[in-house]
Amino acid sequence: MSRGSILVFLLATLLGLSGCRAYPADPEGTLDRVRGGTLRVGASLNGDWVAIRASGGDTSDKNLRDRDVQGKDAELVRGFAEHLGADIEWVAGTEQVLAEELKHGGLDLVIGGLDDKTPWTTHAGLTRPYVESEDERGKLHKHVMLVPLGENAFLLELDRYLMAAKESS
Amino acid sequence: MTNVKNSSDAVRFGNTDLPAEQQEALRKAMRIEWATMGFLAVTTTMVFLVLGNSQAMKAAWVEDILSFLPPISFLVAAHAIRKPPSEKHPYGYHRSTGVAHLVAAVALTVMGGYLLVESVLGLLKAEHPTIGGIEIFGNTIWLGWLMMAVMIITSAPPVFLGRAKMKLAEKLHDKVLYADADMNKADWMTAIAAVAGVAGIGFGLWWADYGAALIISASILRDGIGNTRGAVSALMDKRAMTYDDKEPHPLGRQLDEYLRSLDWTRDAKSRIRDEGHVFHVESFVVPAGDSMPTFGQLEAARDACAAMDWKVQDIVIIPVAELPSELLPGPGSGGER
Repeated sequence: MSRGSILVFLLATLLGLSGCRAYPADPEGTLDRVRGGTLRVGASLNGDWVAIRASGGDTSDKNLRDRDVQGKDAELVRGFAEHLGADIEWVAGTEQVLAEELKHGGLDLVIGGLDDKTPWTTHAGLTRPYVESEDERGKLHKHVMLVPLGENAFLLELDRYLMAAKESS
Repeated sequence: MTNVKNSSDAVRFGNTDLPAEQQEALRKAMRIEWATMGFLAVTTTMVFLVLGNSQAMKAAWVEDILSFLPPISFLVAAHAIRKPPSEKHPYGYHRSTGVAHLVAAVALTVMGGYLLVESVLGLLKAEHPTIGGIEIFGNTIWLGWLMMAVMIITSAPPVFLGRAKMKLAEKLHDKVLYADADMNKADWMTAIAAVAGVAGIGFGLWWADYGAALIISASILRDGIGNTRGAVSALMDKRAMTYDDKEPHPLGRQLDEYLRSLDWTRDAKSRIRDEGHVFHVESFVVPAGDSMPTFGQLEAARDACAAMDWKVQDIVIIPVAELPSELLPGPGSGGER
């Protein structure tokens, strides 16, 4: 086969395949599973971004009730879940516990006022920065959420939602 | 030795005055190498901006960065070899080309090996490459599309640069330029591999990215090893080869045939060192009969040899009673087998 025909073949395959299924696709099918299903979200306590209010009952249970989780990040996640027609299953924990859980497929999303300098890039993928904030030392933070590595359809859907939310705010 | 009276803009290799054709080729080669660096500055920036988490893109980007080395080597060497021989450097500075070649080749080998190991580890750890969206003109599109577009856009120009350099490498007998041209010509394959890797990620085939990265890093490593081998054997005074190292340089045979054809010689054989662009030649001649050749005969033979090719200027002719086989191994002339 000549070089030219290899090129044509490659391009044709690309176009053909991209026409017949979701592109990009999730290797583990996260977006398909979450849509109309359950979005499992890890929430790590952090100021205005994620606040967890104990509303009586058994606080030792790491699974939280929806109204207990407040904050800017939590509101965005609620909007995203609604956009997908999904229920949210909240899990509270430290960043490390949640990042480990995300890496091993136990969560779909982790929030906690994280920024794009987060060290958890070996465990998780990052969304595009969707909001910026300045701390008391004048340092700029570009806020992101953590998603499972390589679940690119899910990530793109979330990125699109966050960008749209940023524009409308 | 010729006295230097040329105007300062004449291009020369040490003491060797270049023929008009080679002067023109050298100027053109320097212009093309500057153009290559300008082009690389643009492409490395473009690729860096869309790098994302793709290992294939990273490998392609590192290859682009490494592509700076041969042009830099060439330009530095082209500057250094203009210096005429001095008391401290009696053979001149021609070897600077070989040194530059070796430095670039070792860098390629190291980085190619590093990327190869990194790609294998990524594959074993099954780290799924994550590529999300990017906002362009208010629309959020998949960054992978942008990666593929950039790789396709930047794939074609090096091929044309490589072809132009290849012709000049032959004219100048320049192995760094040859290696550079050879790598440029194969550059489109890197781009296609990276595109295939990113496209694979899009289909949910996370390993396609590492597969592409493996192909790219293996090609960098192969270039590195091949060039290191070539540069080392050139510095070890391997016999003079053609610019592409494919066959012995025909000049060796031509010189021997000429010297043997003289009526005062019975036999002749030369050994030739390729100093980078120019050759250093030692020709052993056995005079016919028992009489020594005259100074005039020796001078005339030397001038005729030097006139044969611009690469021959540093030539010594040594009359001997018989050819010293211990200095001239092999059956043929310096340039044949």
